Amino acid sequence: MSGRPPIAAPGLAWAANGQATLSGPLLALAERLDRRFAGLGGRWGAEELRFPTFIAAAELERIDWFRSFPQLATFPVSLHADEANLARFTAGEPVTGDGRVQLAELAPVRDVLTPAACYHLYAHHRGRAFDGPRWFTTRATCFRREDHYEPLERQWSFTMREVVCMGTAAEAAAFLDEAAALVDELAAPLGLDLEWEPATDPFFRPSRNPQYLMQRVDPTKHELVFDGRLALASRNLHHDHFGRAFAIERDGRPAHTACVAFGVERWLAALVRRFGPEPSAWPEVGP
Amino acid sequence: MTARTEAELRQALRAWVRAHSPVPVGDGFSDDTPLIASGHLTSLQVTDLLLFVEELRQSPLDPASLRPGAFRDVDAIYATFLS
Repeated sequence: MSGRPPIAAPGLAWAANGQATLSGPLLALAERLDRRFAGLGGRWGAEELRFPTFIAAAELERIDWFRSFPQLATFPVSLHADEANLARFTAGEPVTGDGRVQLAELAPVRDVLTPAACYHLYAHHRGRAFDGPRWFTTRATCFRREDHYEPLERQWSFTMREVVCMGTAAEAAAFLDEAAALVDELAAPLGLDLEWEPATDPFFRPSRNPQYLMQRVDPTKHELVFDGRLALASRNLHHDHFGRAFAIERDGRPAHTACVAFGVERWLAALVRRFGPEPSAWPEVGP
Repeated sequence: MTARTEAELRQALRAWVRAHSPVPVGDGFSDDTPLIASGHLTSLQVTDLLLFVEELRQSPLDPASLRPGAFRDVDAIYATFLS
């Protein structure tokens, strides 16, 4: 736990299962922030896509996601459709007094709730070959199981906006450099204490994970950290990791990819921490 | 075991790269050739390289102590872990 009091603000309803409901001015602020983040993709004419809540587990298996981040996974499960199984479920107490579902036999689980918005983009473009750089933006409700939750700062489900480039190594790197500068321009007027810092992803048993080791010696992830502790955004250079895994090509070679990602609720947290819960005190963030 | 000289350690690192690089190692390969930027070292080889460096230095490495640039080239590996 952080030791700081949890954020409380008009328009924020917090549920014990790590999820927030937004309404009123706080919801309006979230929407304005997201429009600013999505608008950043306009610099490259980024195509917007909107994906479903689940992603096929087979797609994430391509990048060994389940061995790398098993602790984060949330699965959509359903009861096996066999009538006898359903009868067993209904004959008992489906939900206990403390809110625990007493599941009967489950149908095979083949999906996972989206853990990061950009994964859909790589799966969607699997097998494609591009003859020039391509840029995309998408927003998703993402799900990451954590050992504790805090309103707006660490949630089981949260909103992630991403802008992604697929191209050559030089195109991906150029995109990321310019995107970082645009994020700085966007953030500067907000008056937040922010710093870009090298970061690693939260790998399971990191010392045994080659991707973690690679991130240590060749930092490809940087986070925009508020107040020295809370990552509001990240910029990530993937080299050809996703291009190879999803057979996406640029000029006949595995595409290089890069992305900038924004955690919308965390920007709300930073603004409320900095300026208080009263909307009249919040800085202008755009239409 | 007799301690290896700097020249022997550098030679061993170059030989390891030649044996494990997923892309051809040209005649111009030298101790300041960027390993990651040139594609000679990817996440598929990094664990093996870590183990090899531990073998050369005859002591374990804490992965958490790895710093950016530590595997940049043979020069950096030698200076960081073996000198």
